[in-house]
Amino acid sequence: MAATVGRPEPTVRFFSFHLMPYPGLPADYDGPAWITCPNELFDPVLGGEIYNRYIDELLYAEEVGFDGVCVNEHHQNAYGIMPSPNLIASILARQTKRIRIAVVGNALPLYDPPTRVAEEFAMIDCISGGRLIAGMVVGGGPEYYSFSLNPAHARERFAEAHDLIIKAWTEPGPFEYIGKHYKLRYVNTWPRPVQEPHPEIWIPGVGSLETLEFVAKHRYAYMGIPYFHISVFERMFSLMREACRAEGYEAQPSQLGWLVPIFVADTDAEARRRYEDHFWYFVRRLLPGINISPPGYTSVRSVENVLKGAATFALNLKTWQEVVDGQYAIVGSPDTVAELLGANIERLGVGNLLGLFQLGTLPAEDTHRNLTLFATEVMPRLRQRFGAAPVATTGPIRP
Amino acid sequence: MTVLDDASLPTAVGVVEIRRGGTDSPVPVVYLHSAQGEGAAMAFLEALAETRRVVAPVFPGFGASEGLEAIDDIEDASFHVLDVLDRLDFAQVDLIGLSLGGWMAAELATRWPDRVRRVVLVNAVGLYVDGAPIKEIFGRPLDELAVDLYADPDHPVAQMMRALAQSEGSVDQIPFDLLRPVIQAQAATAKLGWNPYLHNPKLRRRLDRISAPALVVHGEHDGIVPRAHAEAYAAGIPDARLVDLEGAAHMATLERPGAVADLVLGHLTG
Repeated sequence: MAATVGRPEPTVRFFSFHLMPYPGLPADYDGPAWITCPNELFDPVLGGEIYNRYIDELLYAEEVGFDGVCVNEHHQNAYGIMPSPNLIASILARQTKRIRIAVVGNALPLYDPPTRVAEEFAMIDCISGGRLIAGMVVGGGPEYYSFSLNPAHARERFAEAHDLIIKAWTEPGPFEYIGKHYKLRYVNTWPRPVQEPHPEIWIPGVGSLETLEFVAKHRYAYMGIPYFHISVFERMFSLMREACRAEGYEAQPSQLGWLVPIFVADTDAEARRRYEDHFWYFVRRLLPGINISPPGYTSVRSVENVLKGAATFALNLKTWQEVVDGQYAIVGSPDTVAELLGANIERLGVGNLLGLFQLGTLPAEDTHRNLTLFATEVMPRLRQRFGAAPVATTGPIRP
Repeated sequence: MTVLDDASLPTAVGVVEIRRGGTDSPVPVVYLHSAQGEGAAMAFLEALAETRRVVAPVFPGFGASEGLEAIDDIEDASFHVLDVLDRLDFAQVDLIGLSLGGWMAAELATRWPDRVRRVVLVNAVGLYVDGAPIKEIFGRPLDELAVDLYADPDHPVAQMMRALAQSEGSVDQIPFDLLRPVIQAQAATAKLGWNPYLHNPKLRRRLDRISAPALVVHGEHDGIVPRAHAEAYAAGIPDARLVDLEGAAHMATLERPGAVADLVLGHLTG
């Protein structure tokens, strides 16, 4: 059932990442999309439609030959209406047969006790036959407001929750776990994951040194969070390589992932024409508020590194030329997109390309066509360029 | 004018900074600063130092004081302040606290009433008052915060906060060396007051443990702590007097150092 067995691991794996953005913010609302964005603005009927549509878009990624799909967790916001990515992942686990399902990730400090994450991830791994990628994340700054959770304890809680989850998966229960933040007398997680010793672990980040060192130490994979100038990713991955060297090994491409918005159309001009408004809805309507950094959330030693990145954050974008120059999104004809992605994959040395093929208000037809064109015109060239085996598609590709 | 010296004091959690000086007096005055870390409440401290021995410990996470890793909540903070008094050999003190420092002073005076001879709470947080929330201090733009902290928009600190908020320089111009201590001080405050927000739900019903006569000061333009909190303190502490201070917002010891010092000295000798 573990469908990847027997197939050579591709050099670059292609993932379709869905944020599940809320496209219906009224034109006269100009407040933040996070923490205090009034939930009266959420239309449940529209919500139901887009949940189902977005799930279809994720399922379509398997049909057209992606290696995997990604979902993520955010709370009390219009940017991504997926407070429980595990609910979506469980649907995907049942409805797909081949692709990896990456939950990037569960915000561990928000689960109390975090054995809940060990349980739900193990369920998804069982249902999918061992196709889960278990992402673990500290949680965004806004989430510490939305949960009234102390940001000054974020890093310690994350580290402790991580240790507890790994222990729950790898050591026979029941056992007692007495940490600083979690004190559990009976840890005995049912079910256990299919993958031994545990699912592949991904950690997303924006360049905090603690996170890089943590990922390097455990030999996990680091996913660079998007919406920064391309140079920020270069610096982030070079810091990751240094952190791995400090642990006595060279970082593997499979340990690095680059998340970027992608849009393909027949020509460069058409791509921009069809995409630009939706991109700006995303940047100007859904990003505001995401960058709030509560006290104690970023360590004193990481502040400089994080702030240097933050200066190029997409929220500061004014013109399309800046988007193109900084490669905040890769938009164009199949030739243009294949060339730009190929050059960056090489330059960044990443083994995982995580594309956002739907962004902001991008409608269903455009998203569908984007995925189709990418899978038929771009992905094969990149697989060829990076020596990866082609992946069998499971159904007819619907143009 | 009496000048205070900087010194360092080893404590159970690490070495902390203290400012000290003044005239020998039988009962020393201890000043606990606010979340702004106003080590620079110098005019106020110096006014007290004319006739009193004054010590102002700098809380872990503020300035160069170590030990924040060992402090997680207001209980740890209270034990730390007790430790400071012990290490200074102060059997009994006159305790003054501004805002966050006021909260610590109230915690100390409820837990170890014998150690406190007189207490002064200036715009103290620490209580929850239904219908009168303490305004958000975390994550707000500095220029907006300045309005809540200072009645006088031309106060030098208020001006500095506005300038910082409006500076849009490049990354290379960010003064990281100045920024790091500010970030650490905010983390220290978050540890004590993120949730429950700047209060201890158990403190109010313990206020009757305070045996020291208390002076409760409310800055009439305080944009952070509503007057109802001063009223709650004055109602809960058996021997308390509430005074409204004109021309001051939240940072009263910086804004009206002379007036607060007069009130304090009156209370200490009264």
